[in-house]
Amino acid sequence: MRFRIAILAVLLCCGFSALLAFQARFKEYTGEEDNPTAVPGDAFEQTEWTFARLRYPSGRYAGYSGERGSWPTDFPKADRQFLQGVRRLTRIHTRSSEQVIDLINDPDEIFNWPWVYAVEVGHWDLTDAQCKLLREYLLRGGFLMVDDFHGTFEWDVFTQSMSRIFPDRTIVELPNADPIFHTVYDLDQRVQVPGLQYLYSGRLYEKDGTIPHWRAIYDDDGRVMVAMCFNQDDGDAWEHADNPQYEAKYTSQAYRLGINYIVYSMTH
Amino acid sequence: MFELLFKYPLAVFSKGKFVLLSGWPVWLLILLIVLAAGGLFWNMRQRHGILSKTRSTIVWLAQTALIALLLLMLWHPAISVARLRPQENVVAVLVDHSRSMGIADDGKPRLQNAEDLLDNQLLPDLSKRFQVRLYEFGRDAVRIDLSNTGQVRGLAADDNATRIGDSLKHIASEAGTMPLGAIVVLSDGGDNTGGIDRETIEQLRQLRIPVHTIGFGPDHFAKDIEIVDVDSPARALAQSRVSARVAIRQHGFAGQKVKLMVRENDHPVAEQEILLKPDAEQSETIVFNAGPPGAHSFQIGVTPVAGEENAQNNSVVRLVNVTPKKMRILYMEGEPRWEYKFIRRALEDDPSIELVTILRTTQNKIYRQGTADAHELEAGFPTKAEELFKYDGLIIGSVEASYFSNEQQAIIRDFADRRGGGVLFLAGRFALSEGGYTKSPLAEMMPLRLTGEKNWSRDFATVSLTDAGRESVICRIEEERDQNIARWQKMPQVANYDVLGAPKPGAVVLMNVAEAGHRPTPLLATQNYGHGRVGIFATAGSWRWKMLQDHTDRTHSMFWSQLLRWLVTETPGPVLSSTPHQVLSDDTHVPLRVSVRDKDFQTVSGATVQTTISRPDGGSDTIELRPDPLEPGMYTGEYTADKPGTYVAETSARQDKTDLGRDALTFRREDGVAENFGAAQNRDLLEKLSSDTGGSYYTPSNARKLSGEVAVSEAGITAHDNLDIWDMPIVFLLVILIRGGEWLLRRKWGVV
Repeated sequence: MRFRIAILAVLLCCGFSALLAFQARFKEYTGEEDNPTAVPGDAFEQTEWTFARLRYPSGRYAGYSGERGSWPTDFPKADRQFLQGVRRLTRIHTRSSEQVIDLINDPDEIFNWPWVYAVEVGHWDLTDAQCKLLREYLLRGGFLMVDDFHGTFEWDVFTQSMSRIFPDRTIVELPNADPIFHTVYDLDQRVQVPGLQYLYSGRLYEKDGTIPHWRAIYDDDGRVMVAMCFNQDDGDAWEHADNPQYEAKYTSQAYRLGINYIVYSMTH
Repeated sequence: MFELLFKYPLAVFSKGKFVLLSGWPVWLLILLIVLAAGGLFWNMRQRHGILSKTRSTIVWLAQTALIALLLLMLWHPAISVARLRPQENVVAVLVDHSRSMGIADDGKPRLQNAEDLLDNQLLPDLSKRFQVRLYEFGRDAVRIDLSNTGQVRGLAADDNATRIGDSLKHIASEAGTMPLGAIVVLSDGGDNTGGIDRETIEQLRQLRIPVHTIGFGPDHFAKDIEIVDVDSPARALAQSRVSARVAIRQHGFAGQKVKLMVRENDHPVAEQEILLKPDAEQSETIVFNAGPPGAHSFQIGVTPVAGEENAQNNSVVRLVNVTPKKMRILYMEGEPRWEYKFIRRALEDDPSIELVTILRTTQNKIYRQGTADAHELEAGFPTKAEELFKYDGLIIGSVEASYFSNEQQAIIRDFADRRGGGVLFLAGRFALSEGGYTKSPLAEMMPLRLTGEKNWSRDFATVSLTDAGRESVICRIEEERDQNIARWQKMPQVANYDVLGAPKPGAVVLMNVAEAGHRPTPLLATQNYGHGRVGIFATAGSWRWKMLQDHTDRTHSMFWSQLLRWLVTETPGPVLSSTPHQVLSDDTHVPLRVSVRDKDFQTVSGATVQTTISRPDGGSDTIELRPDPLEPGMYTGEYTADKPGTYVAETSARQDKTDLGRDALTFRREDGVAENFGAAQNRDLLEKLSSDTGGSYYTPSNARKLSGEVAVSEAGITAHDNLDIWDMPIVFLLVILIRGGEWLLRRKWGVV
C-alpha cells in the first residue's frame, strides 16, 4: 500500500512539475480589450516568437484609462494586425495572436519572452519588485520596446519607473547609424508617426511632444536593451493600418520600425 | 626433466626435423605395422570368449602399439638439426646497465644478480663451446673487454635509457664480420621506446640469429602507482578547457583515494580525487585550463602515496601549444530565432573565436554580422571551396537543404572531409529531417541517423549527460566532475528539440533529451569525419539556459564556447607540422612531418618546406624537409635535439613565389626520467622478442639450461647433425609401460 502511495506521489509530482515547466499559452483578456477582434484560428500554435504585450500596473496614474490601466491601449487589434505584417514580411515563425505578459500576477513568465512591448508607459507605475524583475530580465538578454507616450509629463512618469529599473544607466538618443535602424529596412529617414487623433485634430503630435524621439538604454556591450518610441504612436499605426483615412506612409514606417526592432532583438 | 626423458633440450625438437636413417622405405614400415595389427586382430578373434569385446580391444591396441614402436625403432629414427660448431662461433651476451637495473628487488640490485649469473654459470658454460663477446647496453651496446679477468664486475646501472632494439640492431650489424651464432640478453625489459621495432626483428629473422632473453626483476611492484600514459591535446585555443586521459597502473593500493593533479611550474592547475580500482589499470579524465597563448608544459599525475616503492613514476610531462589565433566560424541561419541571438552573445567575449553570421531575415534578404568588411559574404553563403575554406568552423542552423546548391552541399562536405574543419548542425523547423536533409548528401556526414520523420517539437524537455558527456570538456561547466554532473541536473529545460535516430558507428552521444514520460533521444552527438569533425545539437532552445538563470550565470556562454572550441581547435592551416612524441624522454631523435596544402586544401607536391628550430640555448638550426614519396603533400625531416630543454620548430612552405603558409610546433627533451617508468620486469616484451627470433625466455633460476640450447641455431657456422632418438629413455619407458600395463591388466582380469 505504501509503495502504491509513493508511486502515486511521484507521478503527481512529475505531472505537476511538467505543467509548471510549460510556457504560458494564449489567453484572452475579454474585459480589458481596448479594440476587440476575433481570436485567430492559430491562437494556440507554439511558435518561435509572437507579439508579447506587457500587462503592467498604472497605479497612481490609472485615472487616464480607468481601472484596467493603460497597458491594453489598442489591444488586441494592433497586436494582431501587426503580427500579420511580421508573418508576411519576414521569416520569423509567429502565430497570429499576441501573448500578454502579466507583470502583476505572473511576473516570471516574462523570461520566456525575450521581446516585450509596453504601450502608454507615460502612465505606468511599477513596484520595486517589478523594477527589479525587469532589470534582471533586460540584463539576461530581454528586450523592451515602449511606445505611445508623449510630452514632458508622460516622459517624467515613464522615467520615474525606468530610473528605478536602471539607476546606473542613461537614456540616449539612437543615432541613425545604429544597427537597429538597419536590420531589415534602412530607416535613416523617419517621420513622426501620429496617433489616430491626428485625423480629427490635424496635429501629428500630442500634448507638448512636438519632436519625435527614438531613444534607448544600452547594455555594457553597446546593445539596445530598451527602445523608446517617444512622441509617436506606432501602436495606432498598426491598429489602424486598415483604416483608409490613416496615411499609409505612417503605417509603413511603423511596420518597418517594429520589424527592425524585433529582428534587432533576435540578433543582438 | 625433459632432457632426462628425451635426451636432448626442447629446442632440438622444436627446431629440428624428424628423419628415418635406415634407408628402408617408409611404406614398408607402414605395411608391416598394418600386417602386425591385422595378425593380432585375427588372433584376438580366434580367442573370442576368453575376454570381453572391450578388454580384447584394449589388449589388441597395446600389442599393436608396442610392435609399431619397435618397428619404428628398426627404421632408425633421428632428429636432424643445425647446431653451432664448437669454438667456431660467437655468442653475443648483452647486459642491460640502465638505471632500472640498479633497483634492488630482493636486497640485491638486478645488475648484480646478472653479474653473478654471468660469472658463476653462464660465461664459464658458454666459453667452453663458443667465443663470447660481452656488451653492456642502455641507449646503445658497448663491448666489455673480458681479456684480463674473464669476469664481469663493477658494471654501473647508470644509463638513463634502455633501447633494446637499437642495441640489437648494432650487434646484428656486426654479424657480417663475425660468425654470430646467437644473442643472449640479460635485462628487465624496460625499453623506453615503446617496444622493439619490426625492422630490427625482421633483420634478426633474416640473419636467423636467435635472441635468448633472461629476465630480471618482478613482474610488478608490490606497492606502486605508475602513470602508464597520458593522452592530451597537442594544441589548444587560449584559455580553453582541455582534457587529459590518464592511464594509471597500481599494485597494493586498491580502494585507496588519491589526488590526480595537473601542475604547471609547480603550481596546481587542476586536481580531482580518484578511487584506485581493484583492477591493476584504470583510466581517468582530468580537465584543466590550457592558459594564455604560448608553449605550456604540464606535469600530470598522482600525488605520491606513503609506502610506494617507486615515487618517480607518478607523473609525466605533456606539452600543450596554446595558439593566439582567433578561429573564424561561419554560422548560416535560415530564420530569425532566439538561439541565433544567444549563440552570438555567448561567443562575444571569447578571445579565440570570431563568429561570422548570415541570417535570412526575409525571403530575399540576408543580414550579416561579424564580417571583416562590407564585402565579406556579400553574395551570401560561399559558392567556392576557396571561399568557404577560409573559415575554421561552420554552423548550419534552420536552413532548408534545398537552399544550398549541389555545389554548395559538396563543398560543405569537403569542408570537414578534406579541409579538416568542424561542421555543427542545429535543429529547427527547416533543419535536419524537417529541412529535407534526409535525402541530401550532407546526411552522410552527420553523427546521427535522420529518421525522415518530422519530429520537431516545441515542448519543454529535460537534458541529461551521457557517460561520455560526463567526461567531455564540451559539457564541463563546473571545474569538478561531480559538481558538473550535479549542475547539469539542475539545468533549465530546453523549449524545443528534434527526435533523431540512433548514433552511427564511431559517433559519440554526449547529451540526451527527453520530455516527461518519453524515452531519451540523442541531443548532442559528435564524430570525426574525414580530416574534420561533425556535430549535431538537436535543439534551438538552449537560450533558456541564459534567460532562465541569473544574469551573472555563465553556463550558457561556457557551454557554447566549449562546443565551438571543440569544433575548431583541431582545424589545421594549410601547413601543419607534427612529431610523434612532443616530449622526448632521454631521447634525441625528432622525426618531423609537415603536411602542405593549397587554398583549396589540395595536396601540394612541389613545395619548398623549411623548418627553423630554436634551441633552448638561444641558437637555431634550419633544416629543409623532403617530400615523402609515399604520401603526396607530406614532407619529412629529422632533427637531433642535443640538449635537454624546450625547442620551437617554425615551418614555412612556399611554391614558386607563393607563400603557402606557416606553422609552429613545440617539443621538449627531458633527461633522467625514462628509467623511472616501466621499472618492473617487462616479461611480455622479452618473451615476444625471444619467440619472434627463434630464441627462448629464461628466468635467472632456469638460465642454466641456456648454454645447452644456445647451440641450436641456424646462424653463424653450423653443422647439420642427425641425433639418434631410438635410445631416448622415454622409448624404453614406453616399452615397459605398454608391456607391463598389459600384464597387469591381464592379471586383474585373471587371464595371465
